[in-house]
Amino acid sequence: MIEVRNLVKTYRIAGQSMRAVDDATFTIQDGEMVSIIGHSGSGKTTLLSLIGGLTRPDSGEVKIDGVNIWSLGDRELSGLRNTKISFVYQFSSLLPTLTALENILLPTAFGHVRQDAADFGMIYLEKLGLTDKRDSYPSELSGGQQRRVAIARAFVNNPRIILADEPTGDLDEETEQDVIQCFKDMNKDTGVTFIIVTHNKEVASRMGRQLRMANGILAENS
Amino acid sequence: MRIRILNLAFKNLRRKFVRTLVLSLSVAVVTGSLLGATVFITGMKNALKIGTYRLGADILVVPEKYEAQAKSALLAGEPTSFYMDRSVYDRIKKMEGVKRASPQLFIEPTSFTCCYNVKTFLIAFDPDTDFTIAPWLEKHLKRRLTGNEIITGREMPVITGDTLPFYGTPFHVVGTLEPTGMKFFDQSVFMTMDAAYRMAADSRTKAVQPINIPRDKISAVLVQVTEDMTPDRMAIRIEHDIDGVKAIASDQVISAVRRQLGGLIKGIFVISSVLWVLALLLMSFAFYMIVNERQRELGLLRSMGATRGHVFKLIIGEAVITSLSGGVVGLVAGSALLLSFQGLIVHSLKLPYLLPPAGMLGGLVAAAVAFSIITGLISSVLPALIASRMEPYEAIRKGE
Repeated sequence: MIEVRNLVKTYRIAGQSMRAVDDATFTIQDGEMVSIIGHSGSGKTTLLSLIGGLTRPDSGEVKIDGVNIWSLGDRELSGLRNTKISFVYQFSSLLPTLTALENILLPTAFGHVRQDAADFGMIYLEKLGLTDKRDSYPSELSGGQQRRVAIARAFVNNPRIILADEPTGDLDEETEQDVIQCFKDMNKDTGVTFIIVTHNKEVASRMGRQLRMANGILAENS
Repeated sequence: MRIRILNLAFKNLRRKFVRTLVLSLSVAVVTGSLLGATVFITGMKNALKIGTYRLGADILVVPEKYEAQAKSALLAGEPTSFYMDRSVYDRIKKMEGVKRASPQLFIEPTSFTCCYNVKTFLIAFDPDTDFTIAPWLEKHLKRRLTGNEIITGREMPVITGDTLPFYGTPFHVVGTLEPTGMKFFDQSVFMTMDAAYRMAADSRTKAVQPINIPRDKISAVLVQVTEDMTPDRMAIRIEHDIDGVKAIASDQVISAVRRQLGGLIKGIFVISSVLWVLALLLMSFAFYMIVNERQRELGLLRSMGATRGHVFKLIIGEAVITSLSGGVVGLVAGSALLLSFQGLIVHSLKLPYLLPPAGMLGGLVAAAVAFSIITGLISSVLPALIASRMEPYEAIRKGE
């Protein structure tokens, strides 16, 4: 379970302080698929980063399974990101020096090593229709293929939570549908929790629950 | 199959091959020049130590006007001939403070007698009083030289059993001295004074260019002083008591060489230090750039669970691989250049040189490897700290 309480994050831009996340409070149960929609600059990505332990809040709490992640040290927080939380980004997040399979296995370099990681990677490449691309470098893959490799990577360490930031932002409609279906299948198969930030109402509507964000303020979308 | 931090470091370096190559070469230049210079200077000190031990004399007494030639003969093995009365030896051996004294004859052979590529120097010693060659003879030949027997320095292109003619007289090689690095020993032919006087006398009838060395002439007197006397004081006393001679304390010669070496060492280390600082600055700047241009990648690694330590190790690893590979290239190139040009350098500097022993060389190589690793560490520690302290979200955002 993810519990967010009174979360605040302020940035100083051109000498003025701006609340990117303003007193956000909500709870997400295990296995939920939640979308956060809002315009660009509304604070969605910042909120996702606060939940994922990538940026420290000014105040407030993020509890995962009852543990306030911002009370953890670097090693514990990194361990949490390695084993419980995974990210999927809008941009190409693959390392250009690694092949598709190596990119999928990259999180295993930082601690948690599953013995069947390579087999797992191959299963996901097959699931995502990329078996013949295992030794291809990102520059040899299309945008959609790169995104699918990044999704496979997000699953390599059996995470409990997937945080996806505009995961279909630059994809064509067909690939977008594939990616969302892939998320839904994985949610069904493994019970993993999804929080997807998007400005695409169609994508948001396919999630079980929608949150809306405007000027840093979060509200349930009824 | 598992991805490791070191794998990542290698792949990152390979991606920017030209940059990696330039950075490696900067370390290679510094390591190579420092190693080359250090081996060379150590070799000179080594030769000086072995050569002076072999000489065994505290003072070399020569005719007053021939001080420069004597020093040149001693240090650079430049063949020379000069003579003074044997009475100088007779007086010196009786002086207070003299433990042992022995006369020698220096003879410059005619250019066509032997060994086209080596400047041969003939040195004749008195077997009854000698303490320079005699210890070697006792140890290796286990007898004195007799008749026309000679022993040669290590650089002479001859072997035991060969016959060498000098001034029309054939001489038989009965042994070869171990290398000392001093040409005075390594390129010389040693014979007894008796044999030398006989050769000179016979040259009138046997040689194309005869040589005249009366039996009452010698070239130099080698002196060992007693425990309670210093070579400097004894040298002053000899010059005061005997007219027309110059007493050269071997300390003086060594300290002159050491001064010369000192200047050389300073020059080399100043240049090397400047090169090192430049290489450090270049590497540091390059790694700042690397960290800056890879902010998003580093942020992504952090989002996948990389700790600050992992990021620090990755940057340090890339720097150490770069500098270590440069160090190894520098080692090989420096050694190759040193081996190729050492003869030329030694010839132009006119100083003794002997490659340091294997153990010392191994130590110098290990030091050079350690030096290249340290260079990588120093140059990347600050960029690595900056990279490891970046907040993941900020790194990803700024890297966009």
